[in-house]
Amino acid sequence: MINPFKTIASLLLLVLMTVMLPSSPVHAESKKYKRTVEHYTLPNVTLINQDGKKVSLQSLVKGDTPIVVTFIYGTCTTICPVLSAGFVNLQSKLAATGQSPRLFSITIDPENDTPKVMKEYLKRFRAKPGWDFATGSRADIDAVMKAFNAYIPDKMSHYPLNLIRNPKDGSWVRLFGIMSSREFLEEYQGVVGK
Amino acid sequence: MKYIDTLLLFLLLTSLFLFNVPPSHAAPGALQKAEIIRLGEQMYRQGILPSGKPMPAFIRGDVEVDSSAFSCSSCHLRAGLGSYEGGVVTPPTTGSKLYKPYRRPPSMGDTMDQSGRHIYAKTVQERPAYNRTTLASAMRFGVDPVGQTFNDVMPRYPLSDSDMSILIDYLEALSSQPSPGASSTEFRFATIITDDVTPQDRQALLMPLQNFIDRKNQQLAMYSDFIKFGYIPTAEMKYAFRKASLDIWMLKGPPATWQKQLTAYSTKKPVFAVLGGISNQNWKPVHDFCESERLPCLFPITNFPVVSETGWYTYYFNKGYAQEGEATARYLNRQESLRDEKAILQIVQDSEAGKALAAGFQSVWKEIDRLPVTTVTLTAAQLTDQGGMNKILSTHSYTALLLWTDARLLPNLKTMISRLSDQGIVVMSSEYLGKNMAAISENVRDRVLLTWPYRLTPYVGPKTGQFDAKVPTLTSAKDYGDRRITSRSVTMLLQATLQGLNRIYDNLYRDHLLDVMSMQMDLTVRDYERLSFGPGQRYVSKGCYIIQLGPGADPALIPRSEWVVQ
Ligand code: HEC
Repeated sequence: MINPFKTIASLLLLVLMTVMLPSSPVHAESKKYKRTVEHYTLPNVTLINQDGKKVSLQSLVKGDTPIVVTFIYGTCTTICPVLSAGFVNLQSKLAATGQSPRLFSITIDPENDTPKVMKEYLKRFRAKPGWDFATGSRADIDAVMKAFNAYIPDKMSHYPLNLIRNPKDGSWVRLFGIMSSREFLEEYQGVVGK
Repeated sequence: MKYIDTLLLFLLLTSLFLFNVPPSHAAPGALQKAEIIRLGEQMYRQGILPSGKPMPAFIRGDVEVDSSAFSCSSCHLRAGLGSYEGGVVTPPTTGSKLYKPYRRPPSMGDTMDQSGRHIYAKTVQERPAYNRTTLASAMRFGVDPVGQTFNDVMPRYPLSDSDMSILIDYLEALSSQPSPGASSTEFRFATIITDDVTPQDRQALLMPLQNFIDRKNQQLAMYSDFIKFGYIPTAEMKYAFRKASLDIWMLKGPPATWQKQLTAYSTKKPVFAVLGGISNQNWKPVHDFCESERLPCLFPITNFPVVSETGWYTYYFNKGYAQEGEATARYLNRQESLRDEKAILQIVQDSEAGKALAAGFQSVWKEIDRLPVTTVTLTAAQLTDQGGMNKILSTHSYTALLLWTDARLLPNLKTMISRLSDQGIVVMSSEYLGKNMAAISENVRDRVLLTWPYRLTPYVGPKTGQFDAKVPTLTSAKDYGDRRITSRSVTMLLQATLQGLNRIYDNLYRDHLLDVMSMQMDLTVRDYERLSFGPGQRYVSKGCYIIQLGPGADPALIPRSEWVVQ
């Protein structure tokens, strides 16, 4: 499946890009995203995941491992591919160390994103188990966005946001903006405590 | 230091080798132009290399992804003129724009917002023209011709020389010719009407269309007067005012001959887009024609759209009858009393409508992994044969009866319901029953559920586009069977389409019109609770209530579900 030459070639290319373009984002020292630690009270809503199963948001986020939440939608351009590529990468980076992060994407286009659409989306991104995508009634989705201080009246004005819950004290690390996968991994590990 | 130098040299050599890998297929020069475009389109739209493998890419600096999840067109859109979403400006990527200096238009996201969030969206603000070499570097390394680095949203694509050459050929061809039917001074439109449509319905469609065209031409005349008096227009205004014309493409005879008639019309006088249209027959032949001609067809009035995930050129209000069937499946799936599929019987009238309703129901029922329900298809005569019907109903004690039929069996409804189990319910289509819906006898109304794909909450706003309603418009019994031809056409023209036409400026490409329309915000309109858009989404109203009728001759419409049943 994986062409070893291609992989090595891409790796070399990447190193090359890094070396030749010292101003490239890979090297950028200043963070391009904004990080805060917040406390949220989540509504008691039931969402529906890509398998058509009911998921209680409150009980889902609890648990002794962190969970990462994003807001995306199936047909979104530009931002969602970038957010989801981040999820894919976090999964594969952590898989190397035997970890499997809990990832949770919530749609902001509940009318279009049926379980079928969400399942196909995850398949397209080759999501591994542990990454769920959920929809719900518009009222419930609005309530969830509001609880995370991420409410937008229209999906077209949506922005990139990752939220990581710290199981120790229930606080959330709020990451606004686009991160490199190294930054994302560091933020995640920071919450895990490694 | 020495070590770094050696490493650099090594990397440089490797990179030279890398980009000079012998192409796995014939050199682009040897390929036919059409083949190059096909391969380039496949890279651009599907993220698949000429070799058939997924295109590798790096996103956000170091995240490796392959492009089968998302491709150039996910961000730069199909026509290549870019997009603006949630603060991210994706610039145009067509040859004609890239080979000219570019200055990014200012956008709202360019300043820091109150909470100090940084603008990640925009890096390159001004650049000189690209050539093929600098363009290849832009895609490989994310730098513009003067070395400004792109932001992390634009992926970096490590492509071989020959693949890169094909992609660049495609970008050069992309949106390079204005589409037929539009010029800097004129938009030509058509509308499509089939010969089964009554003169009243035809008039209901043509009235708003004609108004729209007249109004555009009047505005142009006024605008020209302003210019005469020395008024200097903004760039936006320059493009908003254009002459407009409307042709009526009447289709006669059997649907199998429509394609030929359509070809004759469009060859004689090509149009930029089809504005609406109406038919009581299946819209498929027109849909297929528009796909093959790459001709936008905007919101025809039909209950028989083509339900597909890949259709591109036709925008529909909703999935028609299929949507009512789909909502029914989701609604029944939530009922605990209906866990056993054997308790459900579907009776389908042998008609286009009956079959479309059943197909919608079955597609979702299957999607949610339910076992098939018992389905009986009956002719109109069989439907009213009481004896035969009793026999069918006595085979099992059914709890839900889906009656995808017209109003002819309403007189028998009471008897039929008496043969169901105690709590048994009937589901019917309000659209198929039409005006006869109120004939459902009062004493069975608590057992009958109806699909209702229209708005129920009061609507405050322009009703027909001619005036602003100060009092909320209420949906009521008088709306049964109202085909809403005029009100929906006005919505189509003044809310959804005009937004697109005004925003394409001088980029007169049909694909661009569709791209721009797909990026619009949700709309609140008279006939539907909400219209929502998105790239590739083509059925803009996603809802359908399940309702019951209140008592009386002018019954209340009582919702038994939300607008979107999940
Ligand atoms: C995830 C979204 C995304 C994808 C996928 C994407 N681009 Fe881009 N592209 C962008 C953004 C955003 C920019 C602007 C970057 C900046 O200004 O810093 C851009 C910039 C460019 C530019 C430079 C334009 C200019 O005027 O300087 C070119 C050329 C380009 N992209 C081509 C492509 C091609 C070809 C593909 C597919 C092989 C592609 N892009 C895939 C988002 C994307």
